[in-house]
Amino acid sequence: MTFKKSIISIAFAICMLTGCADSNHWTSSHPLYHKAPYGGIAVTGIENAFVITRSSWFAKRLEIDKDSMQIKGTQHCRKTFEVEMRKSYGNLTVLSDSAIIKFPEESLKLDDRIFIKGHIPEQGVTLKDSTGNEPPVVLILHEFIIGTDLKREDFFDYALIHNESGSIRKPDNVSAIFSYTLWDNLKQRPLFSAVDEIQQPITTYKLANLTNLIQIAVQKIRKNLIAGVDK
Amino acid sequence: MKKLLLILMFLVAWASASEVYFDSRFTLWKDATILIWAVNGESPVNASEFCLSLRRNNSGIGEPKCRELGEWERDSIAIRYGSWLSNNLEKGLPSSYLRARHPGMAAKIQALEDNIVLFIAPQGKNLQVAIFDETAQEPKAAGIVKANSDKIALSDDIASTFFDKRTKRRLTKEERLKQRTEPDDLYKEIPSLRIWAGMGIGYSQAHFPFTPDNWTKNHTRSRVKNYRATKDSVSLWNFIEDAAPYFSIYAGLTWHGFIGVEFMYRYSNRDMKTDNSDTIYRELDHWNFGQHDIGLNVLLSMTYNITPWLDITPLAFIGFQYTFYNEDIGLKDDVKKPSRSYEYRIKFEDVYKGALLGIGGQFVFKKHYGVDLRMGLSSRGRDLYEAPSPDAGAAPTTIGKSTIDCFVSLGFEYHWTI
Repeated sequence: MTFKKSIISIAFAICMLTGCADSNHWTSSHPLYHKAPYGGIAVTGIENAFVITRSSWFAKRLEIDKDSMQIKGTQHCRKTFEVEMRKSYGNLTVLSDSAIIKFPEESLKLDDRIFIKGHIPEQGVTLKDSTGNEPPVVLILHEFIIGTDLKREDFFDYALIHNESGSIRKPDNVSAIFSYTLWDNLKQRPLFSAVDEIQQPITTYKLANLTNLIQIAVQKIRKNLIAGVDK
Repeated sequence: MKKLLLILMFLVAWASASEVYFDSRFTLWKDATILIWAVNGESPVNASEFCLSLRRNNSGIGEPKCRELGEWERDSIAIRYGSWLSNNLEKGLPSSYLRARHPGMAAKIQALEDNIVLFIAPQGKNLQVAIFDETAQEPKAAGIVKANSDKIALSDDIASTFFDKRTKRRLTKEERLKQRTEPDDLYKEIPSLRIWAGMGIGYSQAHFPFTPDNWTKNHTRSRVKNYRATKDSVSLWNFIEDAAPYFSIYAGLTWHGFIGVEFMYRYSNRDMKTDNSDTIYRELDHWNFGQHDIGLNVLLSMTYNITPWLDITPLAFIGFQYTFYNEDIGLKDDVKKPSRSYEYRIKFEDVYKGALLGIGGQFVFKKHYGVDLRMGLSSRGRDLYEAPSPDAGAAPTTIGKSTIDCFVSLGFEYHWTI
């Protein structure tokens, strides 16, 4: 009887290990990523990363004019992001997007079907801040998509990106999907890359909720950078 | 003494201090062209000396040519990648993390044709070494050697660490072009007709392995008394030896790699199971039967291309066979007249009819040379569907009505495809 039980448990373990369930990996670490940034970090890409979909839905709730929703909304997100990063890391250097936009857009593989796209500095070229210093690590924010009921599979799993979603009348959640890379500026290599997803249940939606969404995102990035360290 | 040897070996290893981080077996050409890429523009080895070192360390390398890769040493994209590589080349880092990402650099590596690039960069007391060829945008091999102001010793060290391997003949321009347009070995159509002929040896016995002894012991342990008396005559194995080696020749063909037919002939020599305690056999010198099987099988098979030089074809077959027995009996020289029992000894049927059933596999090397393994069951007996006659009760019993055995065989074949 115990023999039978152990066979079943082994079979179950194999099933777990090989992944009978959804097995996408949403993060990838460099084998030499040994220490998460602490105390100081540089960040780039935040001028162009934020995108708000369903702008009229947001405009109605945030009481912003529909035509200026993209500009004002993303500006708010960007500022909140900066403030939150500064809270988390103390010494924050913000590099303008022009530092990386000149490099060609490349794709980075996270898993068999998961690829993220972004401007990544060339091998042998270091990023410099306005005073000419070279920050040791730079967080490159590739994309930050805000919308309702979004799933990261639909954006980053190449088997699913052509799926069309049905029109949803009444959304349940405000979603944020963001991809980023922690860049080793001294050795010019990607230390850690990830795609994250946040679902924020909707009750009444105000600007404070959007601020809160960005706050959660920054905390998630910080946690992931620590969890991704290859021990 | 052993300890001393160990210490000596350790010292030797430490003195050379060269270490290979990874080596994915790049192709080293005979008469190779080695391009030396010193990342800071000052090559620590002399190109012509390095060629001599190669010839000293690898007798198969022929007449290599070496030169400094000035066009990369002056190119800003290559300089940036070179310094990056030197910065990132660390022990334990897989080569895929060292890929050249810049499209300009990737194009340069792809344009190398069959030249080999030897990257050298100083790192403290050591020199980093990496090797590139056209097949990958990352180093094919990398490691460190100890820096040495003696250029000849350094060349020897690099040559013995990274270039000490078998060489291949360099292809001509036409051969390279042809190889590029050649279809993949593993992506070839299944031939419409595959023919083979072979010969083999086998062994058959009445008792099936892993079955209880008492299933077959009535037949296998039977003895013939008085030239014809046995307890049971349903199986031929009550009379003649059931376990014997056999020789076979066969030829077959397969259509579209799936269905086939095979003709076969088997021969084995089988002794009679005479009861030696019976005194009547004192006159007998020998009594055995040559067994000839002629059969036709239908095969179902599937061919798998494991490597370009090995195809494996698992198969299952079913068929029928005719068996003839050819008696060989002789009395001792001093016996003038055989006994009456000898004259009335057992006689088998002219021909037995039976079926074959089994599985096997053909292992075909280099598309032509096959090794064939088979196992299965075969039966022999009289036609069961004879019209009943009124004299059936008085008719003599058919000997060997149901004779079954199992077999394994090993064959060597030659294959053609059409």
